[in-house]
Amino acid sequence: MTNNPYRLLGIGLTIAGAIFAPVAYFILNSIPITAIALSSIMIGFTSIALATARPQISPEASQLILETGMENIAALLEELGLSNKAIYLPSSMRTGNAQALIPLSGDIDIQRIKGKIPRRLIVSYGDNPSDMAIAVTAPGGTSLKKLEIKPGPTSSEIEQAITYVLTGLLDLANSVEVRTSDRQLNIEVKGPKLHYENVWYYRCMGSPIASIVASIASDGIGKPVRIKEESYSNGKSIISLEVLG
Amino acid sequence: LRIYNNYLLFLVLATCLIDVSLAFAEQTDIAVYFTASVIAYLIITALFIYFSPKARKTLSFVSIVFLAGFMVVAILKIFEVMRW
Repeated sequence: MTNNPYRLLGIGLTIAGAIFAPVAYFILNSIPITAIALSSIMIGFTSIALATARPQISPEASQLILETGMENIAALLEELGLSNKAIYLPSSMRTGNAQALIPLSGDIDIQRIKGKIPRRLIVSYGDNPSDMAIAVTAPGGTSLKKLEIKPGPTSSEIEQAITYVLTGLLDLANSVEVRTSDRQLNIEVKGPKLHYENVWYYRCMGSPIASIVASIASDGIGKPVRIKEESYSNGKSIISLEVLG
Repeated sequence: LRIYNNYLLFLVLATCLIDVSLAFAEQTDIAVYFTASVIAYLIITALFIYFSPKARKTLSFVSIVFLAGFMVVAILKIFEVMRW
């Protein structure tokens, strides 16, 4: 509780302001200095309020949990020899949590997906016996639960939803810009805290940021998406999503 | 969290700017300083729309407290004017 920097700052500013305000008003007889002391109390209260809204789990613990989950999925993908890019499904095509579908052989023809994908690890998505895939909950999948309103299909609505999750809730980026072109979404994430690495898991599922972006975009436009390309340069992550179906 | 840091930084800059500006304008009424700071606080809080629901809830409570202070100052000023 005491190692929360916002609480320490808040308590410090409030106490300093509360001591200094009467001194400045009654002894120094200075209104501007009294005003500064009052401002200090105001900012102190605000900082204490922010401290109570700070996540209980430390960033280190969150990273540990994320890495453990990713290691497990990576082990599964490597063991099965799956290297196809995952397809992120919208809520209309799945049951339960947001899922990413990785075909066991070849590529998925979206038109062959019949009904909703069940909440299982190994799923059959079409009529053919070879239409099998594994459905995993990607890091982005759980972030959809955090959205208060389901995003709409326009680029500004998707941008707002991604910014809310990446900037406001998870503190993973500074800002987000979404541009749409024909069957493609280009997302620029400024100041990302997690970068793309050329490892099996990221090649298949995308980086955690790309996964979050793909899950939200898929739910927004109501169509499956695939992470086509992901690059990092000049403090920006550029993610290209291919809209399927 | 970066969004919290930016928010606090904006608040500090705004209140400093208001206090310094009013001091240069030789304003001697503490209620004016307080009112200007509360208005700046409410505007900046409204502009930060990407706060988590929990943060927004706690900041709303603080906003209500400051707004109550602002109302008290306003009522006192009205009484002062009416007495004249």
